[in-house]
Amino acid sequence: MGVLMAMVVKDLKLLFRDKVTLFFIFGFPLLFAAFFGSIFSSGSSGSGMSVAVADLDQTTTSQLFVQSMDELDELRVERVEEAQARELTRKGKKTAYIILPKGFGQAYGSLFSGTPPEVIIGVDPSRKAEAGMLQGVMMKLGVKRFEQAFSNTDAMMDQLDMSLAALQDNPDMPADWKNLLNDYLPQMKQLVEQDGITSANDPGEPNDESTTDTSEGIGDALMPLKLLQEDVLVEKDGPTNAYSITMPQGMFWAIMGVVMGFGVALVQEKAQGTMTRLVVAPISRLQILGGKALGCFLALVLVLGVFFVLARVVFGVPIDYPQKVLFAVLSVATLFVGIMMFLAAIGKTERGMASVGWAVMMVFAMFGGGMIPLFAMPAWMISISNFSPVKWAILMFEGATWREFSYAEMLIPCSLMLVLGVVLFLAGSRLLRLES
Amino acid sequence: MIQLNRVSRSFGDLLAVDQFSIGIPRGEIFGLLGPNGAGKSTLISLISGQLLPTSGSVLVNGLPPVSIAAKRQMGIAPQSLAVYEELSARDNLEFFGRLYGLNGAGLKSSCVKVLEFVGLSDRAADRVEHYSGGMKRRLNLAIALLHEPQVLLLDEPTVGVDPQSRNRLFESILALKAQGKTIVYTTHYMEEAEKLCDRVAIVEQGKLLALDSVDRLIRQHGGESLLSWSSAGVEQSIKTADPLSEIQRLLATGCDMSELSLARPNLEQVFLNLTGRHLRD
Repeated sequence: MGVLMAMVVKDLKLLFRDKVTLFFIFGFPLLFAAFFGSIFSSGSSGSGMSVAVADLDQTTTSQLFVQSMDELDELRVERVEEAQARELTRKGKKTAYIILPKGFGQAYGSLFSGTPPEVIIGVDPSRKAEAGMLQGVMMKLGVKRFEQAFSNTDAMMDQLDMSLAALQDNPDMPADWKNLLNDYLPQMKQLVEQDGITSANDPGEPNDESTTDTSEGIGDALMPLKLLQEDVLVEKDGPTNAYSITMPQGMFWAIMGVVMGFGVALVQEKAQGTMTRLVVAPISRLQILGGKALGCFLALVLVLGVFFVLARVVFGVPIDYPQKVLFAVLSVATLFVGIMMFLAAIGKTERGMASVGWAVMMVFAMFGGGMIPLFAMPAWMISISNFSPVKWAILMFEGATWREFSYAEMLIPCSLMLVLGVVLFLAGSRLLRLES
Repeated sequence: MIQLNRVSRSFGDLLAVDQFSIGIPRGEIFGLLGPNGAGKSTLISLISGQLLPTSGSVLVNGLPPVSIAAKRQMGIAPQSLAVYEELSARDNLEFFGRLYGLNGAGLKSSCVKVLEFVGLSDRAADRVEHYSGGMKRRLNLAIALLHEPQVLLLDEPTVGVDPQSRNRLFESILALKAQGKTIVYTTHYMEEAEKLCDRVAIVEQGKLLALDSVDRLIRQHGGESLLSWSSAGVEQSIKTADPLSEIQRLLATGCDMSELSLARPNLEQVFLNLTGRHLRD
């Protein structure tokens, strides 16, 4: 074990002391991911939740309500037609749609009519965390109608008149409640006429449970808003965060940097003569090759780990299942250790390794999603991509993140990568001549 | 003790070593002298266990060189500079030391010792890429000495080395001989073989042409010495196998000799006489 660790430490030192290799492991892949991620980013990323709003009511109140939404930092509002609002959300272009139906303005102004203003919302199911925030934001806006009514004497008088009229017209309200309000509202009107309103009441925080409560009854009457949430069937092909695509692509370039770094270093040892020292040392061939493989494996795990941390912390890529990510990383690292060993064996010399390595890896990259995202590939290219280990690697990284693969779905490709990695390592080890 | 018994090694159609038999006793500096491509490095590879002979046998202290026990007894300074240039001398030594089972305080003390021995203590922390060619050669030797091997295989250790570093290397090698190490030294510089080696094997196209001490080789294969003198302003010279007797004979005849000089044959002449070629052809 001491010999293996000595080999690993030495190889990692050599790898990370080479500035050019280091750039191709970290610098270039990060630039790649960041650059294309920013280009591909749609309205779904950045500050504020991107929402499509359709105002079917088209009253002054509804327009003011939309305007007040627009003024919030938490939302980025685009006013569109109803169908378009739904379409944008279904395609993943917007996080949610908000529809103000006809009658919104009238209900908004009637505090005691028994019918709170209704708002229809639909949220991209992959943005569960933001759905809660949107409900909170909407309720905050809804509460403002109470603030407005209770902070102005004239508005309160109008409100009470309107509510009394609406009370008479509401056949659904239970008789007991109707009698109570018929007694209470005229007395309140008298009081407001007499003393006026001197200060605004704090309506308190909205009740979260009411946001999705669609039950009938007087309880609805005092809701700030009645949110009717609709299910959204998502038809989009990719994730909402563009970096979820470009980071796995960037990771492939990092993998390539490590594979090429170790492959070239392996054949370089023969050219430099250091391999002679390893061969004449009292260690086995298995220890020499095992040390190389372990070094490459650990470098890959380390580099991929760094990339996943950066993806999560810097680029906000959701990583909900770290265990799946670890499973994918270990499988991918094993596969590419095997590929490194095999390329070093057939490359033989530094120049040979560089030529064969880049040629093979570039073809893998082209058809495997290292350049064009998998979801954007035409059908014929997707068929070819199945032969590229780059695709398997990227697919596993995506599967462990936004594609939300189950363990069962990951098991077969990951097992294949593990087996193929071991087979390629053994084949490469057999073909590789250590002696100069 | 190193024993090669009728060893041959071929690479495809090329016969690099042909029926080679030698025995090297403990404590000897044994030279393998021959031009580039003569098969010297192949012989080193066979002795160190990097290559297996196509036929014949190699034993190092009675063990096959591929055995772990034999490997522990050997240290090699390959012809190419077998060091990691991106690492410091100390990092290089510590890494190779660990391969030989050294660790902890023992490893550190061995590193200090060999660095001092080759005169690199003050540059131990520097990256090797900043070293001169001579310093790299000295580090190459230091790595070979790290685990205190009984047998040292030095393959052209002075290639590309400045005269000052070369002299330092010679001193180191003679000091190692004084410690009782067995040293196999390949070179195509006859001066080095003459200066360092107890015995020299002259190798050409994988064959052993001659094997003996330098003096005996010269006596047997070097030919006659060239005796030159000036007499009454006239330059004269004569080839002779016994210069002393020849001088006495000339003086007895009343020859007025001045500016007397004697050119003895050397290993170059030996090689020329044996092969019809110069060492550096």
